[in-house]
Amino acid sequence: MNLAILRGLGTVAFFALVIWAMIPVYVPRPNFIPGFAPPPDFWPRLVCWAGMALGLVSTIMAVLEQTPPVDPDEAVEATAPVRTLLLRFAAMVAALIGFTLLVDVLGFLLAAMLLTAAAIALTGERGRLAAVAICVLALPFGLDVFFGEALGTQFPAGALFR
Amino acid sequence: MLTELLTALEAVATIQNFLIMAAGIWAGVVIGAIPGMTGTMAVTLALPFTFYMAPVPSILLLVALYKGSTYGGSVSAILIKTPGTASAACTALDGYPLARQGKAGKALNMALYSSVVGDFLSNISLIFLAAPLALLALKVGPPEYFMLMLFALTTVAGVSGTSLLMGLVSACLGLLLATAGEDMYGSFRFAFTPDMQAGLNVAPVLIGLFALPELFKLIVFRVPPPNRSAEIGDDHVSRRELRPVIKSLLRGSFIGVVLGAIPGIGPSAAAFFSYGAAQRGSPRGANFGKGELEGVAASESANNGACGATMIPLLALGVPGDVITGVMLGAFMIQGLTPGPLLFQTNIHEVYMLFIGMMLSSVLLFGAGKITMRAFTTISKIPASLLSPVVLLLCLYGIYAINSSMFDVVVLLALGVVGFLMYLLAIPTAPFLIAFILGPMIEENLRRALATSRGDPLVLLSSPITWIFAALILFVIGLTARREIKKAQDGKAQPQ
Repeated sequence: MNLAILRGLGTVAFFALVIWAMIPVYVPRPNFIPGFAPPPDFWPRLVCWAGMALGLVSTIMAVLEQTPPVDPDEAVEATAPVRTLLLRFAAMVAALIGFTLLVDVLGFLLAAMLLTAAAIALTGERGRLAAVAICVLALPFGLDVFFGEALGTQFPAGALFR
Repeated sequence: MLTELLTALEAVATIQNFLIMAAGIWAGVVIGAIPGMTGTMAVTLALPFTFYMAPVPSILLLVALYKGSTYGGSVSAILIKTPGTASAACTALDGYPLARQGKAGKALNMALYSSVVGDFLSNISLIFLAAPLALLALKVGPPEYFMLMLFALTTVAGVSGTSLLMGLVSACLGLLLATAGEDMYGSFRFAFTPDMQAGLNVAPVLIGLFALPELFKLIVFRVPPPNRSAEIGDDHVSRRELRPVIKSLLRGSFIGVVLGAIPGIGPSAAAFFSYGAAQRGSPRGANFGKGELEGVAASESANNGACGATMIPLLALGVPGDVITGVMLGAFMIQGLTPGPLLFQTNIHEVYMLFIGMMLSSVLLFGAGKITMRAFTTISKIPASLLSPVVLLLCLYGIYAINSSMFDVVVLLALGVVGFLMYLLAIPTAPFLIAFILGPMIEENLRRALATSRGDPLVLLSSPITWIFAALILFVIGLTARREIKKAQDGKAQPQ
């Protein structure tokens, strides 16, 4: 099954899930709606039906091989084995999740420093130590001072430092 | 009108506004010149800072960034054949060959002159066209507005990415996400957590969707570094070189203004269209692509010519023509200003201040381009492996600072992942964002139209204006579908 068919079927499945599983639970209808105004679930349902229809047409077009080719400038180019690409992606997602969890423990500044360091490491950067140090240590500190002092933003301090 | 303009000039001509615009233009030029950094990113990253500013300076800052980055995109296009922005892609076709001939400075200067002329003419058109259009818009009701916004969405979906269907799917996703939060009758929709009862803020959604996927692309695919930057070399553009270029320069500005004023088209399409027209009309057409100053002028005058013009539908109708004006719509709303016909009645002073500021920014663009030229070779060499993580850091601090909310930061990061997955699936993100911003307005106008017509859906085709928009929507869909089917068939016909 090629990407275009998978994408079309995924689109249909997503909007179907919203229509039949999420809207009934997460879009409550009020007991009274004034005049002829449509209820709150009218618009989300309409959008989902349109999305599902588009997904279906897209699947049919993909089956008939009528999907236009992807722009070469935008094409995804596998520069390493798929396993490696997936690992890099998973590592970055883990770094982002780690950041949101660490904010409560280490505070915003330290968590942001760690995330920046992780992001730089994941890009494959291994040299330019002085520039990396500025990006990881000085820049977050500078931003913290700027937003904190100049704009009065209170960043989370973290449980360890309270 | 003249009195209002003079009053606005007095209000805009402060050192503070001048510095804000100068900083915006300069930062825009620098950011646009860095490969991988786009004008959209420049404007979205600046959005959190505007929360602390007065309405007019904050919009002027964003406009200055937009203009500066559109010109800045030509710098890396000329020096390293890597367009900083999509609208500078045509500039690379002739700019880089010129740089290889040791005429990078000439190409940069021509790009600057053309950008400034295009930008100036675009501002003039904005001043004279926005107000009459707003007057006309006052006479239309919810059905017309609904159809207009649907037209804008269809056009954006048609020109973003390679598939209209995927563009429309992206728009549906954006419309769906926009329904999260409290609806007009007090029901909470998709409020999975208490934070979501107020809906999602524009800034984290758009910054996540546009700034973070670049970092993911870099990390996952480890794109190799761009080519070595060319030296500036001879930078003087003589009168003899300038004279034959003027026709293409003015035509490019005109094309930019016209295409920029149509929602959904924007600077990139204007640059391609202008470049093609210049190539066909020039006696040196055969030399295009080999290092022709006229090619640089045609491309740059059109993309900057579209900048001011994209503000016409935004200010007059409240409909953003592209992603950047979509961000600006968000900025207007944050500042308590609602773009659209009523803006010209309730906030006319601010509108004229904006006009004057935009005119001044043309002059500043010239100055910033000239001053920064020698530094361009260094700017273009900043490695993406350091730049992208720094962008992430700026996003984190900027988004948290808006509402002191970790929920916004989580939305930012989640949308970054969503944006990257959309990239992998070749689903364009621009329709998603425009739909997310326009979603509440589209829904409100549809519900009002249906409520006043006692639920009759034919109200959406009840006036000549709605018929015109319906015809335009069908035209755009037909045209795009035809182009895509032809592309698909050409793709199949090519040997593997």
